[in-house]
Amino acid sequence: MMQCSWPLMGPLRWLHYVNKEVKVRAGKGEEHRGWLLSVDPVSASVVLVSFGEAVAVRVVMGHAVEAVEVLRAADDETAKRLRSVFLPPPSPCLDPKELRQRRDALRRWLQENRIPVEEEGEELKVAGVLTIAAPYSGQDCRSSNQIILDRIQRLVGIQDCTNQRLPL
Amino acid sequence: MATPVPVLRLPKGPDPNSRGFDPNSPRFIALCRTSISSSAASDTDSEQLQKEQHARSVLREGFLRCLLSMTNKKVQFQMYENVKVEATFGASDIDVLNFQVSDLHTPIGVQKEALIRCQDVISFTFDV
Repeated sequence: MMQCSWPLMGPLRWLHYVNKEVKVRAGKGEEHRGWLLSVDPVSASVVLVSFGEAVAVRVVMGHAVEAVEVLRAADDETAKRLRSVFLPPPSPCLDPKELRQRRDALRRWLQENRIPVEEEGEELKVAGVLTIAAPYSGQDCRSSNQIILDRIQRLVGIQDCTNQRLPL
Repeated sequence: MATPVPVLRLPKGPDPNSRGFDPNSPRFIALCRTSISSSAASDTDSEQLQKEQHARSVLREGFLRCLLSMTNKKVQFQMYENVKVEATFGASDIDVLNFQVSDLHTPIGVQKEALIRCQDVISFTFDV
């Protein structure tokens, strides 16, 4: 049985298929059409999006891909739409004074919980490994350490609930 | 008002270097024969490797966002032997080998919690 070379192509070649309309042959005679949003570099799985009444997503597992044929490239509007398919809705803009208040309140809360936190420009730096950017909600925490990220997100979440802030 | 929880010391997190992409880790060797490692050719050219790594992270981020938006949604799985099942998506493991799902509708009944082997899946679909 001939092994399809799709999983072996590598990230640089897969990147060329992004934002193209493709036809994917998979499994036993299945054929799927859609805009290619991404290819998972770990499993070579293909993420296809089609815009209809609802935005329908189909993911074809890398090991099942038989062939991928490019039909056409996306125009600017479609490319823009594709980029925003999985992004969370943009958070409302807060004025600088309110942002500063939120930042100070969060810094005080973390310090009360014995967490080392410093102000770094507009952001808060926690324990040297986690950054919190505006508007300082649990979703704005960035860190490469999963355990610290989880702990800090929970703490920030407690403060958000206490102050009855709406989640952003 | 919630009382502050004193944290004396934050624990050291897991080693960030062996999370599914390291081909020499025991987990990878045991489970991921079919997972894809970085190409050997790029070892010789650091600029090429850098481009490949950038492409890899862009693609992986797109895929992870797809998985994130799938959480708690109804997903239809197309599997081999013409099997179609529907379930509520829970989570995936890092190597995309297993999916954790709830309320899996099978021909013999509804399974409250289940693990689906990705090797058995051809494709799956959901609405955003």
